Amino acid sequence: MQFKSQAVAKPYFIAAIGLFVGQILFGLILGLQYVLGDFLFPAIPFNVARMVHTNLLIVWLLFGFMGGAYYMIPEESETELFSPKLALALFWIFLVAGALTIVGYLAVPYATLAELTGNNLLETMGREFLEQPLPTKLGIVVVALGFLFNLTLTVLKGKKTSISLVLLLGLWGLAVFFLFSFYNPVNVVLDKFFWWWTVHLWVEGVWELILGSFLAFVLIKTTGVDREVIEKWLYVIVTLTLITGIIGTGHHYFWIGTPEYWQWWGSIFSALEPIPFFAMTVFAFNMVNRRRREHPNKAAVLWALGTGVMAFLGAGVWGFLHTLAPVNYYTHGTQITAAHGHMAFYGAYAMVNLMMISYAMPILRGRAANSNKSQVLEMWSFWLMTVAMVFITLFLTAAGILQVWLQRASDTPLPFMVAQEKIALFYWMREWAGVAFLVGLVIYILSFFVGGQEEKAA
Amino acid sequence: MCAMTAIAPTAPETPARRLPGDLAIWFFILAEMLAFAVFFSAYAFARATHVAEFNLYQQTLDRNLGALNTVLLITGSWFVVLAVQAAHRDDRPAIPRNILLGFLCGAGFLAVKVVEYAAKFGAGISMSTNTFYMFYISLTFFHFMHVILGMVILAILWVQARKGVYGSHDAHGLESGAAYWHMVDLLWIVLFPLVYVMR
Amino acid sequence: MNALKNPAHRAWLVLLVATAITWYLGEVGAAGTLSIVAMLLIAFVKGRLVILDFMELRNAPALWRALLEGWLILVSSLILLAYWISLK
Repeated sequence: MQFKSQAVAKPYFIAAIGLFVGQILFGLILGLQYVLGDFLFPAIPFNVARMVHTNLLIVWLLFGFMGGAYYMIPEESETELFSPKLALALFWIFLVAGALTIVGYLAVPYATLAELTGNNLLETMGREFLEQPLPTKLGIVVVALGFLFNLTLTVLKGKKTSISLVLLLGLWGLAVFFLFSFYNPVNVVLDKFFWWWTVHLWVEGVWELILGSFLAFVLIKTTGVDREVIEKWLYVIVTLTLITGIIGTGHHYFWIGTPEYWQWWGSIFSALEPIPFFAMTVFAFNMVNRRRREHPNKAAVLWALGTGVMAFLGAGVWGFLHTLAPVNYYTHGTQITAAHGHMAFYGAYAMVNLMMISYAMPILRGRAANSNKSQVLEMWSFWLMTVAMVFITLFLTAAGILQVWLQRASDTPLPFMVAQEKIALFYWMREWAGVAFLVGLVIYILSFFVGGQEEKAA
Repeated sequence: MCAMTAIAPTAPETPARRLPGDLAIWFFILAEMLAFAVFFSAYAFARATHVAEFNLYQQTLDRNLGALNTVLLITGSWFVVLAVQAAHRDDRPAIPRNILLGFLCGAGFLAVKVVEYAAKFGAGISMSTNTFYMFYISLTFFHFMHVILGMVILAILWVQARKGVYGSHDAHGLESGAAYWHMVDLLWIVLFPLVYVMR
Repeated sequence: MNALKNPAHRAWLVLLVATAITWYLGEVGAAGTLSIVAMLLIAFVKGRLVILDFMELRNAPALWRALLEGWLILVSSLILLAYWISLK
């Protein structure tokens, strides 16, 4: 560890992994509810389990991003963090707020929660992924502002590298677009229109900048390739991401009451969204092939290559599958979307966080890399989780194709629930793949506690 | 894929086979051209189902201004080639001069386009008027943004050239920027006949 | 005509003439298969000149020449195909 203040990343990483476990557990509950509708009813109804599953995902990814940023920025800027105390204080605020929110979801009915938390003052609740009560949303803004203040001042007083500037751009974008979660117009078309400004412009816009920046950082550290070469690729990736991602928002504007031209704009530009992901994959493999040194942390390199490939498959290929308006006309809101969502989030954002944790955690614990034994275990968990996720995606895709056929494309379309029963077999297989994923996650956590001959201190 | 293998700086560079400029800019140019290829085909195939409409409204476009803009872009491109050639033979003052002339051609293109847009928008035409106008506005505006980006790049090249950065020893950055500017020209060479003339 | 030894000057002149032809075809209201093919051919020649003499890919690695010229062929073919469908 080059700078003492990088240590604040550690609690963030630990919290991220903890919440990740929670997300997967609720995922398994949810998967079971697809086939056993009254499982855990009325204690945890489907809608609540779904909300907890997706909200935990977002929160753990944010914890990971913050941890990664706190680790990376001092090293890139070659100076101590502006205020490590602020970083720690914000950690506890964010963790407590997040935990209280989840408790709120589980303890009282959603409508009661809305009433208790002052939703009548400013109506922001009840929208997918942005279900958080008003105080939580305000808390997120406060934490994000404090976090950005801390990082921006650090960069300003230190060295300004392209990688840290791209990260700051991504993080500022993340904060700015979250503000649209407070805008909830009565007109349903406008509501959806701006809702995507948070949801889409996060995951298909600014988050990709964070991803690219983290990837570039770890590749510089592990391959020893010239910074100039890596930065050039980063610029190309960032520009392509912004062009395709921003205009690609149009692929959410097909059937919500917006003008017809969105079908063209959305189809054309979102069809190009795989390009930056493809560039990232090529970038990662190219840099690793041209490496000038053998970094002892092989697990981190594996995650870096993995995130490139899986993000391209999940976000790029599976996104393209149903992004063209004529295709989306049939697939909108089916299990195809769920398949894409699972692999894209895992491949792009879960894996990039795990890469950052894999690279930084050993150093934070005072060694260049974990023992060989621990790394072997971590790589096992990589393959188990990744292969499990591939199967989850394939089963959901199969379920989705069947669903489209039975429920929409057929001459004698079946009602939704009838079609759901017909595809139950795929839901069962998905659930077992989910169990395999959990096993992978448990092995991942165990790898932190395996000792053995450690690599030299960093 | 194969494009990437060319990145290895170890590849022996004989003067006979050389990719001008930086590999990253070529990757970017290809991605941009792919976007336009998709857009052009979308236009052509959408037209196939609205032939009468496209033929009718295509007549309302100002072909003279379109052709004038072609001439401006071609000439702008030509000036930038001259700038690169000047760099290779170390004719220092000619580099920024030609870049500036190229930039002015771009500015002329924008001015002509604004006149054209003013007439169309003034007549109450918008993206929602019909499919033809949707494509006309989308395609030309998307290209318009690329002209602006190209001019920003030229402006940077101009500043650098005035500092004497480019010459026979190093014209890498100049060639990269020039390649992007030529792409803007190339795209318009397809766009103009497709949208303004072909029927 | 020493100036014409410079490929860029030659390309520029050809491009101007080609643009004039396309514009003229528009003015006389040319339409149908023949004029479509003619205009695509002109666009192809123009595009190729830009790629070879302006972008200076004439002496670039074959892969890059092929990629750019391939783009031109692909786009022209797709347009031709779409117009052919519309004429049927």
